[in-house]
Amino acid sequence: MKKLTSTLLLGLLASLAVAAQAAEEPTLREIDVPHDLASLQRGAETVATVCMGCHSLKYIKYRDLLAAGIDKDKVTAWRGTKSKDSSMISSMTPDAARSMFSVVPPDLSLMAAARDGRARYIFSYLTGYHKNDKGVVTNSVFPVTRMPDILGSSMAADAQARAAIDEKAKDVTAFLAWAADPHAQERRHMGYYVLGYVAFMTLLLYLWKKQIWREINKRPKIK
Amino acid sequence: MFTRLLAWVDQRFPLTSFVKHELTEYPTPRNLSYWWNFGFLAGFVLVLQLATGIFLAMHYKADSSMAFDSIQHIMRDVNYGWLLRYMHSTGASAFFIVVYVHMARTLFYGSYRAPRELMWWTGQILLLLLMAISFMGYLLPWGQMSYWGASVITNLFRATPFYGEEIVRWLRGDFGVGDATLTRFFALHYLFPFIIFGMVVIHLVALHTVRSSNPSGINLADKDNIPFHPYFTIKDFFGLGVYLFIFLLFVFFFPNAFIEPANNIPANPMQTPSHIVPEWYFLPFYAILRSVPDLVGGVVAMGVSVLIFAVMPFMDRSKIPGGAHYRPIYRVLFFVFLADVFLLGWVGAQPVGADAHSIHIMELGRAATGLYFATFLLLPFISKFEESWLRKRGLPPALQALFDERTPRHDWHHQEAGK
Repeated sequence: MKKLTSTLLLGLLASLAVAAQAAEEPTLREIDVPHDLASLQRGAETVATVCMGCHSLKYIKYRDLLAAGIDKDKVTAWRGTKSKDSSMISSMTPDAARSMFSVVPPDLSLMAAARDGRARYIFSYLTGYHKNDKGVVTNSVFPVTRMPDILGSSMAADAQARAAIDEKAKDVTAFLAWAADPHAQERRHMGYYVLGYVAFMTLLLYLWKKQIWREINKRPKIK
Repeated sequence: MFTRLLAWVDQRFPLTSFVKHELTEYPTPRNLSYWWNFGFLAGFVLVLQLATGIFLAMHYKADSSMAFDSIQHIMRDVNYGWLLRYMHSTGASAFFIVVYVHMARTLFYGSYRAPRELMWWTGQILLLLLMAISFMGYLLPWGQMSYWGASVITNLFRATPFYGEEIVRWLRGDFGVGDATLTRFFALHYLFPFIIFGMVVIHLVALHTVRSSNPSGINLADKDNIPFHPYFTIKDFFGLGVYLFIFLLFVFFFPNAFIEPANNIPANPMQTPSHIVPEWYFLPFYAILRSVPDLVGGVVAMGVSVLIFAVMPFMDRSKIPGGAHYRPIYRVLFFVFLADVFLLGWVGAQPVGADAHSIHIMELGRAATGLYFATFLLLPFISKFEESWLRKRGLPPALQALFDERTPRHDWHHQEAGK
C-alpha cells in the first residue's frame, strides 16, 4: 500500500518536472540587497539627482528620507525649494514626458515590489542594457523599454567599469527596495522579539500540556 | 462577593451550567490527535481577521480613486499599519490553509459520516462564505490583480441561463468593474464576517450535539471520554502557539509571499496583465474551470467541484465506521485525491497559450479534473467493495463486535437517550 502511494507520488513529481521545463521568462541576476545606510544614501542620491529627472516617487516624502537617517544637508539639496512634507515628484510634467517618450515614466515608489522578481528585477533591468547583433542598445529584461541606458552598461568597456555599474545599480536597488517597504527593517527587528516570545510561550504551553496530560497518557492507547 | 454575583447571574442566565456543560464537563474523546486542533485554529483566525479588519477599515477608503493610495497610507503612515495589513493579508491565506487542513482531516477520518452530516454541511456553507469574503476582500487594494481577478470572476456569472448579463451587471453595479463594485464589495466584506460568525455558532451547536469524532471512527466508551477543559484547552493553546509561530514568521519576514507583484500596480482598466492568476487557494478550482473548453460547462464544473464535498455522506456506503483508520483502500483514495488537488493547483498556476507546452498542461489538467470527480463518483462502489473485502479478510475484534451486536447504524442516538 505504501509502495502504491509512493509510486503515485513519484509519477506525479515526474510529470511536474517534465511540465516545468519550458520556462520563457528572462533569467534575472541574483542580488544580495544591501541593508546599510551608506548604500541607501548613495542609492537615494542617484535616484534624487538622476532618476527623478523623469520619474516620481509619490509615496515618499522628503521627511521620510530624514527619518531613514539620510544626511540632512543632502536632503536639503535634493528638495531645493520644496517643503520637507512634499512628495518626491519629478519636475518633468506628465505632458512633457508624453511628448518626449510617448509614455509617462512609471512611479518608482513601489517599483521594487511591483515586478516579478522584485529587487532582482530592478537590478537585472538596470544592468541589463547591451548592444545586440545589429549594434542597437536593448535591454535583456524588458526589451521594449523606452528608458535610455542611464548607468551605461552597454558602453562598459572592461570588467572594472562593469563592476562599478553593478555597485551603483545595487545601491539604487537598495533604495527602491526601501522605498517600496520602508518599515521592512523595523519589521524584521521586531520580528525576532515577537518570534522569540512566541517560541518561549509555546515551550511553556508544551510543558504545561505534558503536565496536565500525564495521567491520561498512562492509559492504554486506543486502537 | 464573586459567589454572590455569580448566583445572581445564574438565577437569570445559565452561565455556570453552560460553562459546565460545554467546557469543564464536555466529554471529548481522549485519543484526538493534533489534526483536531484546526477547528479551534479556524475560529482563532476568524477573530484575528475581524480585529485587524476593523482597524484597517478605519484608515481604508473604499473609493476607486483613493483605495490604492489609502493602502499605501496604511502601510507607510499609520502607526503599525503595516502590521495590521500584513496580518490581515497573510491571515486570508492562513485561513484557507487552516480550513483546508480541517476539511482534509474530516475526509481522512470519515468525520463527515452519520451522525455528523449537518456539521459537514454547515462547514460547506462556511467554506463558500470564506471563498466569497476573500474574493471580495481581494478587490479592496484596487491593484491590477484585484481589478482583473474581479473582472474575470464576476464575468463567469454570464453563464447563468437567461439572466447572465443582468446578474453580472447587478454584481458589479456597473457595466464593468468600477467604483460601484468596489463600494459594494467593501460593504459586503464588512458584513460577511458577522454572517460567518453566526454560521460558526450553528456549526458549534451541531458539534456539541453529536460531539467530536475520533481517529478510530468508533464511538468510544464513556470512560475514554475526558472533559474538554483542561485537557483540550491546553492542547489547543499549545497548538495555537505553534500556529502563531509559523503565521508570525510569515507576517514579519515573508509578508509579500502572498501578495502578487502585479497587485502593487494600481488598477488600470486599459491594460490587462500578461497573466491573470487567482490567489493560490482558488487554483485547483480555477484549473477545473479552465479544463472545460466551454464557458457554461467550465463554470458548472467549477461550481460542482466546490459543492461536491456535500455529497460525501451519501457517497461513502461502507458499513465499516470512520475513515482511513480501518480502511486501507479509502486511505489510498484519500491520498490520490490529495495529490490530484495539488496537481490541479499547479496546473491552475500555469499560464496558458496556444503552444505545445500549454496543450500538454491543458491535457494534464483535464486528466486531473477527471480524476477529481471520479474519486467522488466511484466512492460508493469502492467503499462497498472495500467493505466486503475487509469482512472476508476478517475484521479486528473492535469492529467485529459492532457487526455482531447488529445495532442500528445510528446507535449514537440510543447512547444519548440512555444518559
